[in-house]
Amino acid sequence: MTVDAITISVVKGALESICDEMDTLLIHAALSPIISETNDCAHGIYHPVTGETIAQGRIGLPVFMANMQFTVQAVLDKANRSGGMRPGDVWITNDPYLGGTHLNDVNLVVPVFVDGELFALLANTGHWMDIGGSVAGGWIPTATNIHEEGLLIPPVRLFEDGEPVASVIDVITGNVRLPDMIAGDLTAMSSALRRGEERLRGLVDRYGADVVRACQEEMIARSEREMRSYIAEIPDGVYVHADALDNDGVTDEPCGLRVAVTVSGSDLHLDFTGTAPAPAGPMNLARNTTVSSAYVALKHIFPDVPVNGGTFRPVTFTIPEGSVIAAQYPRPVSGYLEVVGRVIDLVFGALAPAIPDKVPAAFFGTTGVVTVSGHHPERGEYVVGVFPYPGGYGASASSDGQVHGTPPQSMANFMSIEVAEHRLPLRFDYYAMRDDSGGPGRTRGGVGSTYAFTAWSPLSTSVLGDRVDHVPFGVNGGGPASGNEVRFRTGGEEWVPPLRSKYQDLHLEPGDGVVVSSPGGGGFGDPLERPLEDVARDLDHGVVSRERAADVYGVVVAGVEGPARRPRHRLDEAGTKERREELRQRREADRGAGAARPEASEAVDSDGGQR
Amino acid sequence: MGSLVGIDVGGTFTDLAWAGDDGAVTTVLKVPSTPDDPSRAVLEALDRAGVDVPGLDALVHGTTIATNAIIERTGARCALVTTRGFRDVLELGRRDRINLYGLTGVQHPLIPRDDRWEVDERVDHRGRVVTPLDVDQAAALADDVARSGVDVVVVALLHSYANTTHEDEVARIFEAARPDWHVVRSSAVVREYYEFERTSTAAVQGYLEPLVAGYAAALTDKLASVGLRHEALVMQSNGGVVPVSRLGSRAAHIIRSGPAAGVMAATQLAAEVGFTKIITGDMGGTSFDVAVVVDGEPRISETTQLDFRVPLRIPMIDVHTIGAGGGSIAWVDRGGTLQVGPRSAGARPGPVCFRRGGTEPTVTDANVVLGRIDAARPIGDDTGQALDVEGARRALGELGEDLGLGVEEAAEAVLAVVNTHMAGRMRLITVDQGYDPRDFVLVAFGGAGPLHAAALLRDVGVRTLLVPPRSGVLCAEGCLVADLRYEYSRTVERTVEGLGDHELEAVFSEQRRQGLAELVADGEELVRTDVLHFADMAYLGQVHQIRVRVEPDWDAEALAKAFSSAYLREYGAALEGMPTLVVNARTSVRGVRRGDAEPATTPPERAAPPPGQRRPVHFDGAWCDTAVFRREVLGPGMTFAGPAIVEQDDTTTVVEPGMRARVDGRSNLQVEVA
Repeated sequence: MTVDAITISVVKGALESICDEMDTLLIHAALSPIISETNDCAHGIYHPVTGETIAQGRIGLPVFMANMQFTVQAVLDKANRSGGMRPGDVWITNDPYLGGTHLNDVNLVVPVFVDGELFALLANTGHWMDIGGSVAGGWIPTATNIHEEGLLIPPVRLFEDGEPVASVIDVITGNVRLPDMIAGDLTAMSSALRRGEERLRGLVDRYGADVVRACQEEMIARSEREMRSYIAEIPDGVYVHADALDNDGVTDEPCGLRVAVTVSGSDLHLDFTGTAPAPAGPMNLARNTTVSSAYVALKHIFPDVPVNGGTFRPVTFTIPEGSVIAAQYPRPVSGYLEVVGRVIDLVFGALAPAIPDKVPAAFFGTTGVVTVSGHHPERGEYVVGVFPYPGGYGASASSDGQVHGTPPQSMANFMSIEVAEHRLPLRFDYYAMRDDSGGPGRTRGGVGSTYAFTAWSPLSTSVLGDRVDHVPFGVNGGGPASGNEVRFRTGGEEWVPPLRSKYQDLHLEPGDGVVVSSPGGGGFGDPLERPLEDVARDLDHGVVSRERAADVYGVVVAGVEGPARRPRHRLDEAGTKERREELRQRREADRGAGAARPEASEAVDSDGGQR
Repeated sequence: MGSLVGIDVGGTFTDLAWAGDDGAVTTVLKVPSTPDDPSRAVLEALDRAGVDVPGLDALVHGTTIATNAIIERTGARCALVTTRGFRDVLELGRRDRINLYGLTGVQHPLIPRDDRWEVDERVDHRGRVVTPLDVDQAAALADDVARSGVDVVVVALLHSYANTTHEDEVARIFEAARPDWHVVRSSAVVREYYEFERTSTAAVQGYLEPLVAGYAAALTDKLASVGLRHEALVMQSNGGVVPVSRLGSRAAHIIRSGPAAGVMAATQLAAEVGFTKIITGDMGGTSFDVAVVVDGEPRISETTQLDFRVPLRIPMIDVHTIGAGGGSIAWVDRGGTLQVGPRSAGARPGPVCFRRGGTEPTVTDANVVLGRIDAARPIGDDTGQALDVEGARRALGELGEDLGLGVEEAAEAVLAVVNTHMAGRMRLITVDQGYDPRDFVLVAFGGAGPLHAAALLRDVGVRTLLVPPRSGVLCAEGCLVADLRYEYSRTVERTVEGLGDHELEAVFSEQRRQGLAELVADGEELVRTDVLHFADMAYLGQVHQIRVRVEPDWDAEALAKAFSSAYLREYGAALEGMPTLVVNARTSVRGVRRGDAEPATTPPERAAPPPGQRRPVHFDGAWCDTAVFRREVLGPGMTFAGPAIVEQDDTTTVVEPGMRARVDGRSNLQVEVA
């Protein structure tokens, strides 16, 4: 059946608004602050036969974009093997090897029947504050097995005939640290899906099942067409980029990743051959999360394409089995965020030379967390706090990089300092922009952030980060950003953990603390082409030092005005021109002498790239 | 009570509504706004309407001056003074990005980094001093800041909501150093936790204060020169008014005061005919503003994003804006799907039919092609020239070719898409608040609102559409009905059991005292004073709070009970056994300027007179011979059936086939599905 242009637009809008409505309901009703405060959830409507995405909420987290489709497909498969979907079912699973991400991301799937026939599936994902395992919060830097990371729930029925299955709920709440919170989240997640079902029925009542079904097929087809039109604009060719994780949290060895992107007409093939084998530690991605991460990168490059099953039909993958990006049971996955970030950067790095006007330099790249937990003496309860990494975004053809960004796969925020000090027995010493940390370029990478806190009652802390040794890269002649730095302060001593940015369960006594400096974003274009007024402003703001301005940006300061603590810089135009010419010639000479340097750090003389 | 004038200064037009001694509006008009000096249009409107200015009892004014200054970044240069280690809080925000997808663009903080300073001091979350304020350092800092040449100093220290003494002390030092500085303390602007939001709100206040104070002084002089005897009142974003002499100190409170006034007027008009649950829909040339009113109280939003990383944490009438207006452009995306907006043709080049150089089809062009707008008598156009129907048909014809649709079909498709978009937002904001939109009445206004409202009625499923008599200038009318209003909040962050005896009561009574003192200082004549207390509550560990109306002397049990029933309503299930947290204590103090209007009686029904005109209008795929009424001839009790068009100088109302319209006792059109 074909439907007219008006009906398609209207039904499409209605399906998207159903998803938005479910997102909104869950965000308001969830108890886990990570859902309610940072929107760490997503909702979608899925095809009853293929499980493909039909529509998704516009508020939900990007990383779940494709993962949920895989989860729905896995649940559908399991249901088909156990008597089929039944009215009144609610399925639950957090199996990362089926759907993706990590154990804390729990999925619910419900069937919607129309006239006795399965019409669509609705699903949501919510990030639970705790899922058991050896570290509260679920990020386990030294895990070597999934069971250290918490409770693995295979696809099972959480509700039958519309009634909750008490035994399943008891098993779940009996295995988590915050059972009341988790029970509340379960209630909120199932209510949101129930509302979605009501709304979808309303739509079917109004337009008829056949019309809605035809619209859904058409929406998928149109997204594919749209995506293809963008891919066709990328010059055909093979684009390669390589990067690495510092280590796996257990063994101090880097773990390399590589992609070769082949553009041919309106098809895109991503071949990850050359990527290192799965390590012992938790820095792993299940295959489906790798695919989802690549989709996130493409969606950031082509933000106008609507997301559904059709959007990514033109994209195919080769992902080597047994590699760090195709983890299988029982490989641990709680460090997945770091690997997701690296896959996104691989896609950016590969496509940056092909479509320089669309692709930014690398973002801060470490998307992990600092976790604290312990007893709060004032509140009389066990508390868990999660501080995700903020950092700079990469510069682009159109602008400098933003500061204090949230990772591309996330929309999660950083807790308010004042709220954190109410909820946790610690005090922040500072919380600031990190000077001189943005990758230099014609447009400058955003600077990273730096903060420190001190415990005033005993606490346990864990850190799971990366990008200390392998820093965010610049593109098209831009330089790299400063890397990640983590320091602990215990017993009056300040020290760097052996794996630099990964440590599990450090005990903090009152007066002990943690210092974190996050990476900036990579630079874009030659820093010697940065407009003078931009460098002068960077100097006035203190985000670029005098040394770097002279050595990397090649500017000459003519004089300063104003209070000594806030000098305003006047640049010498002629002197700068001369100095920049000198630096260019020196660079040419170095290149002529065959100085072997990584492409990314080529534009930078003093502040070299990879260590 | 004497006569009143309400004047709303919008981006394109300045609207005036003049009410006589009995409160009934006798004159309305629109004049073009004068953005370089908005007060010029105010005087022009008074003059053109022939208002007897010396005889006025009150002049109430809504303005966009504050909103524009933020958008265009034309406010004052400010310095920010923070706790040592935290000067970047204003720029960092809370870790986010501009758009969900796409990683480009940067923020533009109201106070750039080279004007942000730090001082040694620290207070903890309970207000205990951890590091005493270094007074000498603060004094030395004042000297440095003085050399940097700012006009305003914003002081925002950590946890100042819990203990204001350090902020007060720093402010005193800076005030002493330079008496001509405007000094703003964050705790005086919003006494709640969340340092970024509080600092940003204080920065907005500081950024606007000199500009708004200057505007207030100039306006006062001009109005005095034409003989105004009473002090003018200015509409605030919370729906209350404030005397113009106090405007500077309330600068952050007048952001988007015009839309707030429209909601206030809609609320009042609907209440007079017995509706207390309404959705307001204000559609103009570039945007569609939606708000929800429950039990006669407009929903209030605690935080509004004025721009990326510029949150304003001040209670405002919660008006949601989407980019859907008469000027929204229709286009076909790469997948072949028709889209409308968010790009707008604006006033220039405007819709194709306006003959100002526009070439892309807009929503207004679709309305013209379908015969819904009378091309011979365009609204808000004083050129006297008819609209270019052929141009509009050509633009929509080209759009239709890409979609396989004829001209009228393409125009209908454009309306369907923009209506779906608006309906979706209306649903979302009601559902977001736990309500079923089917229980609501839609009040439509603005130049384009009544054109689309009948379609929204069907899409959203509301029962009744209400189109007020002067719906094109409703925001000006809203200024007439507003009361004086002061809101206070204070972060408490205690479980109900953990609250000390009378702890909450003491906060409420302090807030009440402050508010009553403000009303006395305003010196306005009031018929009565209302004081309402609220608590923002949540289950322990939950972030989203629900605001519950409370009495100041309630005990823990009463508070928890009120919260759990509110929670049950909003989310469908209460959580037994979870401790209840009181996050903020709030008090709203209102000085009511005029008595409640008599409820309207329902007039006996009678048939409308024959329409003055008939013309073909396109509905549901066919041209229908349609009655066209002038609004003035439709008296109380008159009824007629759709399809029909009702025209008036400031807007056009569409009644679709299958709907029935009736004029109520207050001259509103009420439209329902027959």
